[in-house]
Amino acid sequence: MSSRKKTIPSPLGKDREGLFQIAQDWFQQQSWKPFAFQKESWTAFLQGKHGLLNAPTGSGKTYALWFPIVLNYIKNNPDYKTKHKKGLKAIWITPLRALSQEIKQSAERITEDLGTQMTVGVRTGDTSTKERARQKNKMPDLLITTPESLQLLLSSKGYDKVFKDCSAIVIDEWHELLGTKRGVQMELALSRLKTVSKDLRIWGISATIGNLEQARQVLLGPETKAYDNSVLIRAKLNKKITVKSIIPKEMETFPWRGHLGLRLLEDVVPIINNSKTTLLFTNTRSQCEIWFQKILEQHPEYAGEFAMHHGSVNKETRLWVEQAIRNESLKAVVCTSSLDLGVDFAPVETVVQIGGPKGVARFLQRAGRSGHQPGKESVIHFLPTHAMELIEASAMQKAVQNAAVEDRIPYLNSFDVLLQYLTTLAVSDGFYPNEIFREVKQTFCYQAITEDHWQWLLNFLVMGSQSLKTYDEYQKVEVEEDGKFKVNNRGIAMRHRFQIGTIVGDASIQVRYQKGGYIGSIEEFFISKLAPGDVFTFAGRNLEFIRIKGMQAHVRNSNKRTNKVPSWMGGRLSFSAQMSELLRQELYTAASPNPSKGGEQSEEIRALKPMFDKQREESKVPKPDEFLIETFKTRDGYHHLFYPFEGRGVHEAMSSLLAYRISLLTPITCSLAYNDYGFELLSDKPIDIQEVLDNNLFTVDYMRSDLQKSLNSNEMARRKFRDIAVISGMVFTGYPDKGIKMKHLQSSSQLLFDVFKDFEADNLLYQQAFTETFEHQLEEGRLRMALERIAKQEIVWKQCTKPTPFSFPIITDRLREKLSSEKLADRIKRMTKVLMK
Amino acid sequence: MLLISDVHLGKVAHFRKFGAAVPQKAIHKNFILLDEIVHHFQPFQVCFLGDLFHSSLNKEWQLFENWVSKTPSEIVLVAGNHDIIAPEKFEVLDIEIIQELEIDGFLLSHHPMERKGFFNFCGHIHPAVRLHGSGRQRLKLPCFFKKPSQLILPAFGEFTGTFALEPSKMDEVFVLVEDQVVKI
Repeated sequence: MSSRKKTIPSPLGKDREGLFQIAQDWFQQQSWKPFAFQKESWTAFLQGKHGLLNAPTGSGKTYALWFPIVLNYIKNNPDYKTKHKKGLKAIWITPLRALSQEIKQSAERITEDLGTQMTVGVRTGDTSTKERARQKNKMPDLLITTPESLQLLLSSKGYDKVFKDCSAIVIDEWHELLGTKRGVQMELALSRLKTVSKDLRIWGISATIGNLEQARQVLLGPETKAYDNSVLIRAKLNKKITVKSIIPKEMETFPWRGHLGLRLLEDVVPIINNSKTTLLFTNTRSQCEIWFQKILEQHPEYAGEFAMHHGSVNKETRLWVEQAIRNESLKAVVCTSSLDLGVDFAPVETVVQIGGPKGVARFLQRAGRSGHQPGKESVIHFLPTHAMELIEASAMQKAVQNAAVEDRIPYLNSFDVLLQYLTTLAVSDGFYPNEIFREVKQTFCYQAITEDHWQWLLNFLVMGSQSLKTYDEYQKVEVEEDGKFKVNNRGIAMRHRFQIGTIVGDASIQVRYQKGGYIGSIEEFFISKLAPGDVFTFAGRNLEFIRIKGMQAHVRNSNKRTNKVPSWMGGRLSFSAQMSELLRQELYTAASPNPSKGGEQSEEIRALKPMFDKQREESKVPKPDEFLIETFKTRDGYHHLFYPFEGRGVHEAMSSLLAYRISLLTPITCSLAYNDYGFELLSDKPIDIQEVLDNNLFTVDYMRSDLQKSLNSNEMARRKFRDIAVISGMVFTGYPDKGIKMKHLQSSSQLLFDVFKDFEADNLLYQQAFTETFEHQLEEGRLRMALERIAKQEIVWKQCTKPTPFSFPIITDRLREKLSSEKLADRIKRMTKVLMK
Repeated sequence: MLLISDVHLGKVAHFRKFGAAVPQKAIHKNFILLDEIVHHFQPFQVCFLGDLFHSSLNKEWQLFENWVSKTPSEIVLVAGNHDIIAPEKFEVLDIEIIQELEIDGFLLSHHPMERKGFFNFCGHIHPAVRLHGSGRQRLKLPCFFKKPSQLILPAFGEFTGTFALEPSKMDEVFVLVEDQVVKI
């Protein structure tokens, strides 16, 4: 909370009390009482402050900010009941367009009940062209939209007039945007609005994350006037959260790996039966589909009371499910993160998390979905999908007690997003570089941008390179006589507008029945693997694939059984440093159960005894001062496993670093895999661990430069480049409905990456792929601390005869990184015959 | 006769014309390689097996004109699906355009074809194969793909993709590894 509040005298005086009375009366009519954080937000807003409100979903946060927005209008327009001042007054940004209706309803409730004539409108990718055109002429007073749609508004002519009298912009679920490029998009849009809207208040709403203070800085820009005149308000709603692990009855046969968790399906049934409504959270959409199918198969009695909800299910179905939860007509819903946000579901009594939630913040948020009435406790059951996850379950309980929540790390110098933004401005009214540079430099993301960078970007926009060549036909942005940067080519403008929305994700294909009827959307790469006649499960139905037409897949219902379920690349979050620490402590209690040192074993760890016994048979359960290394050979090759227990992100970096250092000793090709417990180097030749230790390859010395070099020999940067190429407009993803026709302009970002590598390695966008990997994905600071810790540990190297329980989840992971220091020709000589699907 | 397939000249310029800033230097690489290979083999005839030009006319055509004028070999183009530039433009350069060519039991075409009594040289596919080895190693490399009576040539051009084929027992595969060709 800000201490500045007291030092600034209220400019409103009695006036504000009058306004407050209006709000208080309204709350009284609903027989509610405003929370302290709501009143604090009203005050700060009406004082003209900016701010960040830290409040969980369903806490009444919409009323914390819609109210002062409307009150402010009332203040400025005393005859608000009879006269209506037209024009946009406030924007509400939501990361999920599915939430917009809900937000609209709460806004309308206020505007109508208070007798204003204010209008509320929604503008997202779902909004019809007709409606959008209507809005263009006559904006609603309050507009609910997404970051992408806001960018699209900035790409239309005369946008400055639209935003001129806008008094507030609220960015809801700011934590979801922070740490993504959509967040950067938002930073840039705000930098423009600060200039265009003369009397603008900027407010963010965020769930609890580790770096809330920084979140405010990113929202408002560090060292800006807006930041100085801002507050951080925390809704301190102490809510009791109880975590219960579902412990397998037969631990001996509980699997060492897996991610579905179906083995414990029957244990979920009593939980469902004993509660009014239960939400079952899964980590991926495919897992969601499978659970839905299996529960109905084994418990047909749930038919009609059991539903599924995920982001690819069509909107109508999703809305229906959400409404049914509110009506209490559903017993249980299997869902994904699609139900993490928004929508207050009072009747939900119990939440089940299937598999590790990969993050304390997300776990807390999901737990908070249950027991919504004030004073009620939230109950969340943790269902492990494999043995090691029980350790996580136990650590998670402690993390919840300590609120050990992750940081969301904001991006720095995302030149791809900046290029997209500059093109956006050039498409609408054009821009003058000096003016925009000043604005951009005030954002968090670009606080360190140099004049050289800026000139590079401008050259890139105009010439597509850094020097002008006579025969070149590059066309994008033109510089007009007065120095204005402008896009005048209609084709380029049109392609750019289509591209704005595609800041994230794979091309998605709509799934429809042949006779019409939209079922949902699937990522293209899944569909591309299907042949006509193939049957797959989607949205709880068995569908036969007929054909691809444009960007649509046509299907018909099928009675055939199938095990094909579309998979989606889910974001894999890494544990925070704090959570990793808790995880380690939990594990160490298994090795040295010493209650006097606070190492009392939890129920979960005790239940895991059979697994620990197996681990001891072949290897060891490490103590706090031990660093375990295991090596063994299987059909796949030579496995080398390392267990720092530092979380996925650190392991990713450490495996890359170590593989690189080993490759300096001897030419080698490795495939790398990692999870939250450790990492693996898999090779077709054995690695001499003694040599690794003798050469002190875990040293902190030269860590940074070694890590950087390791990126050149693996694929991480190449993958990062994929998004960069799309966002910066170098790869065109095609028009939504004419994908096929634009084929001559489609190229793969992979191809482009190679061309840059060979011909233009100093290109800022190519370089960005490496810095992003380095700074964003591989957490350098934590890696350093982890290496320092390992230096103090005793190294225990176990040469095993077969895979151990610890190693199992890692060696079976198929999403792998590669690193090679060998000559291609040498590798090929050793490689066997072709044939691979 | 020197056979070259799928050069896709003009692709980089085409992309640039539409606002995608592919490095310009990639344009020259194609011509440097063409020079090298012609200089090395000194063929009487160069036959392009289609997709010589990726798109409609753009300024890379001028570079191509230069290249043709300094290349002593006779040039033939078997038209490919991408070759949409007016035949007159090629006529001026003394380049003959044909749909296919039968000589001495060989059939030269852009798309793969089967014809009794002929061995087919073709392009179009941009063939590649996936290799895998112990330790979950995988590689995808462009290749010459030989069937009993057909050889599919790899794409010659820079900035062209590949398409992975699955060889059967009858097929032979020669992958391009840095600067050599290796039989698998």
